[in-house]
Amino acid sequence: MKIALSWLYDYLKTSQTAQELAQVLTRAGIEVKSISSLGVRVSHVRVAQICSSEKHPNADRLSVCQVDDGSGKTHQIVCGAKNYHPGDKVFLALPGAILPGGINIQVSQLRGVQSEGMMCSAQELGLEEESAGLYILPSQTPLGMELNTLLPEETILELEVTPNRPDWLGHLGIAREAAAFGAGDFHWKEEVLPPMKRDHSLFSIESLEQCSFYSLRSLHNISVKKSPLLLERRLQAVGLRGVNNIVDCTNYVMMETAHPLHAFDADKIKGTLSIRFAHEGEKLRALDGKTYTLRDVDLIIADQHGPQALAGIIGGAASSVTETTKSIFIESAVFNPSTLQASARFHHLHTEALYRFERGTQAHSALEASARVSSLILSESEAEAVEEIFVAGSLPEKRILPLRFHRVRKQLGITLCNEGISSLLKKLGLLPSPEGWEVPPWRLDLTREVDLMEEIVRLHGLESIQASHRSFTLPSTPADHAYDAAMLLRRRLLAAGLQEVKTPILCSAPPTNQNALLLRNPMGEEHACLRTSLIPGLLEVAKRNLYQKENSVSIFEIGKIFQSLPKNSLDHEESLSLGILMTGQQVPLSWRRREERSFDLYDLKGIFEHLVPGKISFSSSKTLFPSYALALDFFCDSKRCGYLAYLTPSEARELMLTGQEYSVIVAEVALSSLCKTMRDHSWQKIIPLSKFPSITRDFSLVLNKEITYDLIEQELLAAREPLLKKWMPLDTFTDVKGEKVPLGKKSLTLQFTFHHDDRTLRAQEVQPVCEHLLLRLKKTLGIEIRS
Amino acid sequence: MKEDIEQQERASLLALERATETDSLKEVRLHYLGKNGVISLLSEKMKTLSKEERPILGRHLHQWRTTFSQALETKEKLLNQRADSMAFEDLDSSLPGTSFPQGGLHPLTLLTDRVVQIFRRLGFSLAEGPDIDDEWHCFDALNTPAHHPARQEQDTFYLPDGRLLRTHTSTVQIRAMEEAVPPLRIIAPGSAYRRDEVDATHLAQFTQMEVLCVGEEITLADLKGTAEYFLRELLGPQTECRFRPHFFPFTEPSFEIDIRSPIISRKWLELAGCGMVDPAVFQAVNQRRGDSAYDPEYISGFAFGFGLERLLMILAQIPDIRMLLENDLRLLKQFSGEF
Repeated sequence: MKIALSWLYDYLKTSQTAQELAQVLTRAGIEVKSISSLGVRVSHVRVAQICSSEKHPNADRLSVCQVDDGSGKTHQIVCGAKNYHPGDKVFLALPGAILPGGINIQVSQLRGVQSEGMMCSAQELGLEEESAGLYILPSQTPLGMELNTLLPEETILELEVTPNRPDWLGHLGIAREAAAFGAGDFHWKEEVLPPMKRDHSLFSIESLEQCSFYSLRSLHNISVKKSPLLLERRLQAVGLRGVNNIVDCTNYVMMETAHPLHAFDADKIKGTLSIRFAHEGEKLRALDGKTYTLRDVDLIIADQHGPQALAGIIGGAASSVTETTKSIFIESAVFNPSTLQASARFHHLHTEALYRFERGTQAHSALEASARVSSLILSESEAEAVEEIFVAGSLPEKRILPLRFHRVRKQLGITLCNEGISSLLKKLGLLPSPEGWEVPPWRLDLTREVDLMEEIVRLHGLESIQASHRSFTLPSTPADHAYDAAMLLRRRLLAAGLQEVKTPILCSAPPTNQNALLLRNPMGEEHACLRTSLIPGLLEVAKRNLYQKENSVSIFEIGKIFQSLPKNSLDHEESLSLGILMTGQQVPLSWRRREERSFDLYDLKGIFEHLVPGKISFSSSKTLFPSYALALDFFCDSKRCGYLAYLTPSEARELMLTGQEYSVIVAEVALSSLCKTMRDHSWQKIIPLSKFPSITRDFSLVLNKEITYDLIEQELLAAREPLLKKWMPLDTFTDVKGEKVPLGKKSLTLQFTFHHDDRTLRAQEVQPVCEHLLLRLKKTLGIEIRS
Repeated sequence: MKEDIEQQERASLLALERATETDSLKEVRLHYLGKNGVISLLSEKMKTLSKEERPILGRHLHQWRTTFSQALETKEKLLNQRADSMAFEDLDSSLPGTSFPQGGLHPLTLLTDRVVQIFRRLGFSLAEGPDIDDEWHCFDALNTPAHHPARQEQDTFYLPDGRLLRTHTSTVQIRAMEEAVPPLRIIAPGSAYRRDEVDATHLAQFTQMEVLCVGEEITLADLKGTAEYFLRELLGPQTECRFRPHFFPFTEPSFEIDIRSPIISRKWLELAGCGMVDPAVFQAVNQRRGDSAYDPEYISGFAFGFGLERLLMILAQIPDIRMLLENDLRLLKQFSGEF
């Protein structure tokens, strides 16, 4: 909301600068978003009256005017504008004036006629951003007055008002708060409220729930004209446009008191006004020129012809105040915020009045605003007011809140005495009474004891409260364990050279996945769905980085994935998942010339095997997604909890830049099972170290290509040789020329480790064991020793 | 025989002098001191000498062996030293070291963990809640009125079944209080979602840290103490904190915390929202629990929360929040260290 400083200082007597005031408001909880100034300082521009206008002898588009600037001397001015009549008052820039655009006014010859200055538009004076034609002033504007005196430069404060304080949506409320926080003295002459009269022939409320208070003030003998300059300028300063003196006055009082008002042309209202819900399909042509088709949930003000206003939001064109209006009704009411809000949202309307009604209004301010606007209109014209104000609904009541001083001190941790607390509350206009504290009517937000406490601490400030720490012990939670496990996992992956990334949870809906959770109101198709897997996000990251010429991408993400579940399912709708993607060079480019190779499946397998040694196993996957060429199921403690896969080469090529042919390997694993296995909360028990040396033997074997390593392992296990403690592959290769190994065969070098727990093993003992093992491999798998 | 010994002695010392490498020195040693070396052979020959000559020449031979051995050792040491000093002569130690593949954590993880560690020092435990939640946990229980703008479809993501993506992690406050009786002291990092247009300072999905402390006699002073301790641990001891009155439906009184620190910014920066838990929140929890474990007459508490992306932007001077979504390895690798 915008506040004009000169306007605010009508009610706040202070010598504070805008910056000082901004600090006070910040302390009170009103955020000052910006301080700016409106208008310009120009001298030699004054109010003048056009006495006569004649056609320029040498130019069709120009005219020559005689203009009186009040000094008794007329100036000859050549002018291109057309929007004036002799007798109009305008701003005249005299020689010596420098206008905002840098225009230097001098006596000059225009097509052979001397011009002694320039008559100005609002734009040329920096008063408006865009305007056409001369700025015609109200006729009562004093002749000869300097622009600087008439319209001094205005300082505008842009405020961010929290929704709990509707009273801050007017200059009065801000002035009152600033005064309470010591910025100055609050000055406001309260209006004498007119006598109230209930008259059902004038209007009726259908539902008090929708409109708890309604009032009309009747004014006659109105003359509708342009508003006084100051009033119009103030409205412009806070972002409203001048319309006419009546509408401007209602807007002015709204920006002053924060209570919205509406003026009807009384002669155009037929019969009794009724505040009711619209009938489905009723139409209202509103002040914005648009016609709205109403629904039966839209609250309206209607006469016997139909809707005259969308209550609290916008008035109708038919009963609006025009130049011919002679008498008016000033409406001041209290409407249900949510009803208005729903209507406005449906009809895509947002008005200053709505903004205030939806935050909350009350009958006291309604009456005050009505009285204020009446006296403002009466002071500007020869209008007459009907003495009474017609009202319906509930009138304001006193609100009294109890407050326990000891509780204030306890809850806030402050040491103020009772008198100290009372004096703070009095600053805010609260009045002590035997039952508690009487809340001023405009403080709709104060309804409980705790609300008063907030006021006390707001005024007292947190600076003077002594900081403290209360300590008590609590056991760690399952969330603690889950967090620690995930961090441990992260650090293990980091040690394996993987970089963590974070990809968006909202993604485009996968074309095939039936389990995806879709949003009802997404922001575009690309963010319509909660991700069901981390892999698409990781692929995007790989793509971006490969495009940036990164030659090695090994990344992981730990994050939530989502799936919709059938009823009674024991699975979780949301679960933490680990995704890994590797592609490109396995080791960074270096002058060391180590073996250069790209990432493959074994790199990824190795990472998982080392996460929880001995508890991880794999088997080839039966279910293959179309984009995967080869997949392994991943088991943790014999429970399937994910997979590893090669992207099909054609999918991988799509990711790459031309000329690169790296494989892309991905994995996705459910975190809960993995973490449970990694951290089972029992200490690792040691295996005593053997005192006796072990013996190793290497054998190079030749075998059919189809025989996989796990088959050999099964045979070695089945051999049940107690001395054989360990085996590992040292090397494997094939030869396309059939020289080193025959075609269709492969070479595999195996290392056996033998060990006896109780004594030193001798070579002679190992020999028969080796022979047995090799014989077994030969018999069952046809494996030969390579010569 | 005597001449023979003397000649051999001279030759041995000359050979020693001429040996300039460890290999040739080894040969010299072998030649003179070896099993079948010159000295051994001469000793052998002694047997043929007369009783008078034998002790004299024997002494001479022994002396020669001793001096020669010593000289040899000295020479050996010298040559070893020279060889040692030459061993890495050709090495260019100014070449860069071997690079190993380096992993790293995402800066948001690093920051989250730093924050978690600070609160753990104060005795806070972690808590969690679902990203998909219901209106009751996200709004009703947090004292947000039915017509509040935040509930509108234009601000909050809804699922077809009427549930929503939580707009703040404050939902975890409610879930934690539903599950456990006071005292309670939790932190909850997590995702939150708002239907904001994505720009340099806004994301539709972002990360928040929620802090809640509830018990008997928890006061505003505890909130102040905890918040200030946290911010100074995180941002340095010279950090100034300012509590600016604000409004949140679920706390009363409510504040925004601004910070100012010479190492970050001379301007006040808005960092977090906080306040004392509104009694209406406790009452909603009691109603759901079916007891009065959180009776606002006896139980009080404070809550505060902040956006981790925003904090990260301030700390790491990231001008555009979207850079955190791009996962450009060139940027992520800059966070190899911890915060």
